[in-house]
Amino acid sequence: MRGNKKMIASMTSWFFVLPAILVVVLLMLYPVTSSIFYSFTNKNLIKADFRMIGLDNYKAILSDKSFWTAFVTNLKWTAISLAGQLFVGFTAALALNRIKRGSGIYRTLLIIPWAFPSIVLAFSWKWILNGVSGFLPNILVKLGICETAPQFLSSAELAFPTLVFLNIWFGAPLMMVNILSALQTVPQDQYESAQLDGASGIQSFCHITFPHIRMVVGLLVVLRTIWVFNSFDIIYLITGGGPGNKTMTVPIYAYDTGWGMRMLGKSSAVTVLLLLFLLLVCSLYFRLLNRWEKESTS
Amino acid sequence: MKRKLSLLLMTALLATTLAACTSSSGGDASTTPAETSNAASEEKTQEADEAPADTGTTQEAEVAETEADELEGEITFWHSFTQGPRMENIQAAAEAFMTDHPKVKINIETYSWGDFYTKWTTGLASGNVPDMSTARAGEVVEMINADAILPLDDLIDSIGRARFYESPIQEMTYSDGNCYAVPIYSHAFVMWYRKDLLEKYNLEVPKTWDEFNEAATAITQGENGEVYGCSVPMGTNDLYATCFLDTYVGSNRESLITQDRKPNLTSPTALEGIQYWVDMYKNNSPADSINFNTLDQATLYYQGKNAFDFNSGFHISGVEANTPELLDYIDCAPVPTINGDGNPDYIVNNMPMVVWKNSAHPEICKAFIEYFYEPDNYIPFLHSVPVGMMPALKEITNDPAFLNNDTIKKYQNAMETISDALSHGTYIAMEYGPCVEAGILANQRVIENMFQDIVLNGTPVEEAAQAAEEQLLELFSAAE
Repeated sequence: MRGNKKMIASMTSWFFVLPAILVVVLLMLYPVTSSIFYSFTNKNLIKADFRMIGLDNYKAILSDKSFWTAFVTNLKWTAISLAGQLFVGFTAALALNRIKRGSGIYRTLLIIPWAFPSIVLAFSWKWILNGVSGFLPNILVKLGICETAPQFLSSAELAFPTLVFLNIWFGAPLMMVNILSALQTVPQDQYESAQLDGASGIQSFCHITFPHIRMVVGLLVVLRTIWVFNSFDIIYLITGGGPGNKTMTVPIYAYDTGWGMRMLGKSSAVTVLLLLFLLLVCSLYFRLLNRWEKESTS
Repeated sequence: MKRKLSLLLMTALLATTLAACTSSSGGDASTTPAETSNAASEEKTQEADEAPADTGTTQEAEVAETEADELEGEITFWHSFTQGPRMENIQAAAEAFMTDHPKVKINIETYSWGDFYTKWTTGLASGNVPDMSTARAGEVVEMINADAILPLDDLIDSIGRARFYESPIQEMTYSDGNCYAVPIYSHAFVMWYRKDLLEKYNLEVPKTWDEFNEAATAITQGENGEVYGCSVPMGTNDLYATCFLDTYVGSNRESLITQDRKPNLTSPTALEGIQYWVDMYKNNSPADSINFNTLDQATLYYQGKNAFDFNSGFHISGVEANTPELLDYIDCAPVPTINGDGNPDYIVNNMPMVVWKNSAHPEICKAFIEYFYEPDNYIPFLHSVPVGMMPALKEITNDPAFLNNDTIKKYQNAMETISDALSHGTYIAMEYGPCVEAGILANQRVIENMFQDIVLNGTPVEEAAQAAEEQLLELFSAAE
């Protein structure tokens, strides 16, 4: 009788978990395994037949100068964007946390970039920054700030920083909202005690604020690292990786290889390498987060 | 209570799963509505075939035969006519066809050319391709190579092979002797210019590339940034830089591909052409044109900010929509040549219509295409972009109904220039016949990347051309 009850309980739990398992299997496991499989083949996007070619795709990619250029650009893109988003998001959250009146309006206004679809943002910025008829370059000339219209998206020097700026502008609100929520969980009495003990603002931040919110910030950094590293839409829609590959990142390189040149096997190998790299980075992040968690529980 | 609730939920979940299984097992999951209606049609045909034997009456037999001949089913038609009037004309023709054939449903989906290419190449593996579609000339061979489209010789014969211009049909005829597409209209890249600016700077219509450079430079300097002499588009999301280079090389009656289908970017004329456009970019083009696609480039001309451009008669409707006050000042001429003599080879785009192998109803697609060529449908379609779309049928060219259009009358010189160009050219790199390599050369953006590399990284022309040629060679080999 007890055995039956146990079995029913176990079956019930499986039934509840089943939809999630199916979603994971269909939406993640299949694409990942098929990508791994195709990475060992010479699969062409528009041809049905293909054959196994071992590690040839990996060898070709790792010896391709363009891949390494894209990888370095991707690292710079991720590091600078993430640091910028964190800095702007943190600063805005700290400021909002101190505002007592009308904070809701400010919060709504600041979340706007995050609330718009990236395609709308991309085309709007492309229009604003257009080197011939764009609003910003022309206003800079009219105000006498620049002699000629700056080529934000077509200059080899400006295209990458411009995209990074847009990514910071786009991603900072998410950081801000999450950090603000975490800040609001910090017990106020601890600040009062610290104040009575004569602690400075920086000391309060380092010893009270940061230890309370670091787990949230840590998880945000992990998530944003994956998202920013994999981000495709903003770059593709605004510059397509150009000009002259100056904004080419690994996801754009993979897309161009698979969908542009139709070398699906090679493109799959790029995505497998990307996956391995991100797994490595995430494992390092999680090791740090675990240490923080242990420190706070002890 | 909790246990009861759990059991209830379990039962509900199980019932839902079974219901889902039942509904999907009711028919093949991959069966499309079109296939279902095809099966229904076959069933009906069978019934109709059997009917006369059952009744034995001639009248009933005739009715049954008519029913059997009647088209029935649903098709999907992808086209890239994103501008309003063309889209409306296609839609109107489809609706009229559906009125004549009440059991037919035509679903029209519109994609830009770039999206269309991505959509069919990615959709091919999953079978997510339409029943019929438009295509770019360079893509047809790729579609044939992928065994994706049907030969249309029966349709061409039914419409009347002799009614079509010969060169588009030849361009769409593959090495196996079958013709896989029907040309819906044609256009050619000619040199567009601004008459008022030439007059202002006392310039003649350039006949050589040197004269062209002088004129573009004079206008750029004279207009001081308000109007550019000649914008050179190099965006990697389009094939415009390839078009410019092909125009230069073609003006010397050479090709970007060799007769044995190898890329030809390092010939003296090709290297000269690359250097020419790089210099033109640096001296007479907006810096932003390094990212320009077709629309960016065309818009610059439409807005009166570009003095010269290379494009088709579509420029007239573009200018009309953007700056109608310039309509009296635009015209076109043959593209310049190196020495100013001889007939250049133009880029000619014979816009094909194809029927996909996956289609459950090729008979509906073919019937609709045939219906579309009827003058009542075809002439209004051509008039939706007058001078932009030149007829693919010979008799329409001289049809008074076609010629009786204000724009066509006004731009008689443009009509003649483009008509002449149509008889002296092919699509990019198809000078030696249709081949998959031409599609790769035009669609892979290798040439656009090469231009960007030269401009932004200062790579010497010879080195960049050599690298691009090697990359193309690799892509050609992969396609074999």
